Amino acid sequence: MATNEAKPSTRRVSRRAFNKGVASAAGAGLALGSGIAPAFAQGNRELIYGMWGGDVGNLSPTIRSDIKAGILIYNLFDGLVRPNYAKRTIDPWVAEAWSNPDPLTWRIKIREGIKWQMGYGEVTASDLAYTWQVHLDTKSWQVRTSFPQVDSFKTDGTYVLEVKLKQPLGAFPGITMGYGGLIVPENAHREMGNDTFSLNPVGNGPFMLESVMGSEVILKKNPDYWRPGLPHMDRVVARSFPDASVRLQSLLKGEVDFLTHPDAKDVAEASQHPDFVTHSTAGWTWDYQHFNLSANKGMAYHDKLVRQAISYAIDREAIKNEIYYGQATETDNAIPPGFLGYRESLLRYPKNGDLAKAKELIAQAGLSGYEVEVMTSDKDWLRKELELVAAMVSQVGINYRIRNLDIGTFNNLWINNHEDFQQMLEDITIVAPDPHATVYWFLHSEGSVSSGYSNPDVDELLDNAMATTDPATREGYYHRIVDHTLEDCSLIYHVNANYTRMHKKELEGFEPGPQEYIEMLDTVRWKA
Amino acid sequence: MNTLTYLTRRIVQIPVVLVVTTLTIFIVVRATPGDPVELMLGMQTSPDAVEALREKFHLDKPLYQQYLIWLGDVVRGDLGSSIRLNRPVSQMLGERLVVSLQLATAAMVFALLISIPLGIVAAIWRNTWVDYGATGYMVLGFSIPNFALALILIYVFAIELDWFPISGIGSSTSQGGGVWEFVSPYILPAVALGTVQTAYFGRLLRSSMIDVLGQDYIRTARAKGLKPAVIIAIHALKNAMIPFVTMVAIHFGYMIGIQITIEYIFAIPGMGLAVLTAVVNRDFPVVQGFTLVIAIFFLLMNIIADVIYTFLDPRIRY
Repeated sequence: MATNEAKPSTRRVSRRAFNKGVASAAGAGLALGSGIAPAFAQGNRELIYGMWGGDVGNLSPTIRSDIKAGILIYNLFDGLVRPNYAKRTIDPWVAEAWSNPDPLTWRIKIREGIKWQMGYGEVTASDLAYTWQVHLDTKSWQVRTSFPQVDSFKTDGTYVLEVKLKQPLGAFPGITMGYGGLIVPENAHREMGNDTFSLNPVGNGPFMLESVMGSEVILKKNPDYWRPGLPHMDRVVARSFPDASVRLQSLLKGEVDFLTHPDAKDVAEASQHPDFVTHSTAGWTWDYQHFNLSANKGMAYHDKLVRQAISYAIDREAIKNEIYYGQATETDNAIPPGFLGYRESLLRYPKNGDLAKAKELIAQAGLSGYEVEVMTSDKDWLRKELELVAAMVSQVGINYRIRNLDIGTFNNLWINNHEDFQQMLEDITIVAPDPHATVYWFLHSEGSVSSGYSNPDVDELLDNAMATTDPATREGYYHRIVDHTLEDCSLIYHVNANYTRMHKKELEGFEPGPQEYIEMLDTVRWKA
Repeated sequence: MNTLTYLTRRIVQIPVVLVVTTLTIFIVVRATPGDPVELMLGMQTSPDAVEALREKFHLDKPLYQQYLIWLGDVVRGDLGSSIRLNRPVSQMLGERLVVSLQLATAAMVFALLISIPLGIVAAIWRNTWVDYGATGYMVLGFSIPNFALALILIYVFAIELDWFPISGIGSSTSQGGGVWEFVSPYILPAVALGTVQTAYFGRLLRSSMIDVLGQDYIRTARAKGLKPAVIIAIHALKNAMIPFVTMVAIHFGYMIGIQITIEYIFAIPGMGLAVLTAVVNRDFPVVQGFTLVIAIFFLLMNIIADVIYTFLDPRIRY
């Protein structure tokens, strides 16, 4: 539809001029001609933030939310720690410090003087204990992600929480304190209950909730925020635009100041626009082929040679260019840039594939080809990608019968390893800033999203990596785990898709990261 | 049977129709694969967490019990809460029904402003270039999908000419400003949504007017020397409007439910998009609550159409 090129203002009949024309023609005394850009109308202290999708719900850290709500939650609630993408470390935040006096004990010291919004007092260790107990009592999703190793916890004074583990967890700062580290005020949460709190969240972050209406959420500045001088914006108006092209045009037209998730096909051209800044960074995401190894035992893909052949048949650069329009990084392994354990994005499989090697492996497996049903969800880029991948593997005699499903049916089949699915293409956002999340959950035979893959050596390495706190030692374990995954190909990784945001050039202070959830708007401001 | 008896009977039928409608929707949305709880909780969820949420939303109970619980709650005025968003359905409905009604009204006003003159002139100058032009427009209006028209309108009037905003319906920006800030976001969506109605209503009025203009009493009026404008406005149009007005009433109800693509493109937080999202996410309480309200609205518009019939044409008796 529309082009993204800048258009000289002289070509246009401005809305103001049009309004005046309408006004004189109709003789109506309407308040016309005041359609100036909203941000400037508000004295440069308001940000109109264009998001994807529709309604936003669940603005409490104790109830599962989608990524969009997650971005808002991270601006309402400050977590215990914050990932430092450049240094690949976990930095103190609401937790001022932590220690690990013995392998099964962690002591978390809460920073003093951080206030809850709306006069609910100071953030204390008791709030942290309460929040984690809410997760356990309500059997939230965190029970299986952040807290499986947690045995018990108790406060030691006002600001210290002592946590006892069932088994050592080197990833405790990244996983339990990171992914599970957003806390709620005990008194406010008790007063409202879990459901009401999620509609009226009381946080400790830079912004507080002003209103939710339809697909628009308005945040306002937290006057008691603990970091001096922040946030810079008085208000953030987060508005959802389901259509990516319309979202982008709304930015180019000045109806929003900042947007996330432009369509990949538009990014290259839009990034040339002189009035806007584009941030396109390799995201903590994968798209990958997943084999149902817990069922369909007669299928050829149970042979790792076949899976290797598929991986060799994939031209990852073509996927990057054709599906993501260059806004992605080719990868063949589970650890993206910015994670402990990262070496290179492509460690074994060439970015353009190796068809001869793939055919050789198929022959070694004693096959001349086979047919398999591969499903994907209603994400349009995955449907296109699966068609491309099917064309690639057809060159080695493998026929992918494509099954496009709505997201509900799709998730139902693969999350439960249902027999009625053989293979799939999916993409995923990695939520926790630690390699434990990227590999243990997916590759351990007891992982929460295991495909049925079971390799005792990998299990042992994963268990050892989990139990180790020394980063250098952990890194070594993850290198060996990745080497196993390259050999076994239980999951075949294609690319890490970029995470893209655009904003007006008059904005400054935004620090782009690879994590979709943690998109902090506290440092964003209009240039003087 | 007089009109009052007829209307009473229609109103009494409403609960029966609603039970049938909601039961059908209830069965259909549950017959499709996909678990709303697993969709909401995601993949790392423990079986305990899934069970806990199923219990909260009564999804652990047999289907007939789920329906009866929902029906009982509805009778008490409680439409439940969204599984995915954890927000009361009634609150979501309140926000979105207003937006959808406003958009449907704007689209209907546009449709009437275009279709009435169009139908009249096409009938008066039947088989002339005026008629051909009007009929050509109607064919075009029928043929062009509203999403394609929406994108064309955005490109021309929002991007190239910069006359109207792309979005803003239901936003704080539109509600906090002046009249133009409130009205302007409705213009392009209303045109995109109402264009097919202009074609439909225009064609309906044209054929109705042609039929009326051929009646004996119109010939008599002409023979009496009445001015053509009087004949058209007083004698012909009033009678030609009978089927037109009833169709307008019915279509107004219909337009509430067909806004999905327009809502999607113009980022409008209306009913259609909410239902679509809820269906995709198997958010049963939202699907059922919204469907119930849309059904009630549609039934009411049908009853209103029946009432209008009796006012416009005294010969009609129930």
